[in-house]
Amino acid sequence: MLDTTREWGFFLARRLGFFVVSLILVSMITFGVTNMLGNPVFLLVGTRYTEERLENVTRELGLDKPITERYINYIGNLLQGDFGISRYTFNPVLDDIRGRLPATLELSTYALILGVLWAVPAGIIAGLRPNSLFARFVDFVARAGVSMPGFWFGLLCIFFFYAELHWFPAPLGRIPRQVGAPDVITGWYTIDSLLTGDAEKFIASLRQLFLPAFTLAITTSPSTLQITRNKMQEVLGSDYVRAARGFGLPARIINRYSVKNILAPVITMIAMTYGFLLSGTVLVEVIFSWPGLGLYAVDAMNHSDYEPIMGVVLLSAGFYLFIYFVADILNALLDPRVRLQE
Amino acid sequence: MSAIPQLQDDFVVIRRPSLYRRLVEANGAWRVNLNLAILIFIIVLGVIAPLLPLQNPVKPLPLERLNPPSAEHWFGTDTNGMDVFSRTIHAIRIDFTLAISSVVIGVVIGAPLGAISGYYGGRIDDVLTRITEVLQGFPQILFAMAVLAAAGNSLINLILIIAFYNIPVYSKMVRSVVAPLREVEFVQAAKVAGNRPIAVVFRHIIPNALVPVFSQLPLSCAYAVQLIAGLSFIGLGVSIPTPEWGAMIQNGASQIVFGKWWVSVFPGLGLFFSVWVLNNVSDILKSLVVRRA
Repeated sequence: MLDTTREWGFFLARRLGFFVVSLILVSMITFGVTNMLGNPVFLLVGTRYTEERLENVTRELGLDKPITERYINYIGNLLQGDFGISRYTFNPVLDDIRGRLPATLELSTYALILGVLWAVPAGIIAGLRPNSLFARFVDFVARAGVSMPGFWFGLLCIFFFYAELHWFPAPLGRIPRQVGAPDVITGWYTIDSLLTGDAEKFIASLRQLFLPAFTLAITTSPSTLQITRNKMQEVLGSDYVRAARGFGLPARIINRYSVKNILAPVITMIAMTYGFLLSGTVLVEVIFSWPGLGLYAVDAMNHSDYEPIMGVVLLSAGFYLFIYFVADILNALLDPRVRLQE
Repeated sequence: MSAIPQLQDDFVVIRRPSLYRRLVEANGAWRVNLNLAILIFIIVLGVIAPLLPLQNPVKPLPLERLNPPSAEHWFGTDTNGMDVFSRTIHAIRIDFTLAISSVVIGVVIGAPLGAISGYYGGRIDDVLTRITEVLQGFPQILFAMAVLAAAGNSLINLILIIAFYNIPVYSKMVRSVVAPLREVEFVQAAKVAGNRPIAVVFRHIIPNALVPVFSQLPLSCAYAVQLIAGLSFIGLGVSIPTPEWGAMIQNGASQIVFGKWWVSVFPGLGLFFSVWVLNNVSDILKSLVVRRA
């Protein structure tokens, strides 16, 4: 029960504790796996090296110290915002990430909005009329979306809507070069162009955004759709809805009650989708040359530079855990039954 | 179509309907037959691919680069002049082999972990459950990139990393079956009879987890195939000339803006179709789990 401020305090503290412990676990696993399996020294010294050079580089990178000490150093640096330095852009990884994060956030947010706008209403309608033609259609789209490899679907979209029909611009980044990026305020081109009142740039960036966002929406929305439909059906068959019907309540009100009851699982699923999207954009970013975190990580990988990858992995995992944490609290605020379980 | 009691001498023998019968009952004959037939067809095609009169999948024909589909090359040729049709079919072999081996490793490690955590409960259970939850939120493609960049880009590492993602799936599933069984009478009886814990777990508890685990297998394979293709697409895992769907899609990715669609579209269709069928088969098998509960 979460009735008093005190109980809310305990609840928040416990969730925060989970969040922090999970973050530590993530960093330990990532650091442990990458550092115990490989040795970055060989990437630096190349194929022809002397023992002496090998030792020098090892000492330079601090790799001669035990792994626990290296881990503590790494975490210490992370807490000060130091993700290391990229070996191919020669920038601090944090600066690189800061420049690219808005691109990925913008893409995944628009993808999420598109997906939710389709999945939730469609799921509710399909749940209300489980045997209708529409429900079958929805089911088909969900199954196809789950099985669709996003990077391939993106290519199909490029082929049809760019190469054949010319409805959308070339898949080359966030805004056409001749239009030029808007002044940086938030880093989100659609918002920045609105803030500076530049309609041309706004429309250009929206057009550029649409295909990748649509691709991601199609491939990530099915889980939300399915959970909405299933929960809706479950609620409609439940005793309290039947009782409400028995009392002769109008369908409109019953539907409103039912929708309220499916909120918690649907919100959790949407949150998980959003958490997944930040890292799930990787392949789609490659297809559309979208200059976000995913493309950054792929470029780094192609240059055998793994500090940026580590940074992006930790950031995405942290983002996922954070979204999950927020969803937990949101659920407790919205759904009295969740509060009761606490 | 429930079981028909049959009179044999004086006994009424009620036969449990066969597995196939129960699947058909829950899903409809049409759906079961079609999906199983397609899955078997894909697997058989992969197995006998070297025996079929296909063109050499790894032989580049420098004079026939990027030819559109024709009578000679049904799916056209790629940027190296290799036959896309033959490669799309040969790709079944590597994609399915990698997927199945990684899933099997995941099950072999994950299922016992789940059984231990569910059977003993307490501190071990708490720790394992927490680790499982964290692993499920991992940015899988990115993490795989980090690992393959650090540990070397080999097929063994690719299999291991995907197996690593499958461990929590199965440990969580087996745990959820085992935990409530701990207090059930037949398990208590086995314990009281003096069986060692290992024997109790393996003989009396694990069999209950078989149906959920088996129905999850095709789904995990579908996911593994998608992941393998995705990683190969960005140049990890399998690379040209080995025929693999993701790497083949990558080969045609830069051609698609010029309208040369066949290089990427056909391997993508193979990938999409296989994943779809595996997902469907998993759905069909899941009906067994629901009916038991």
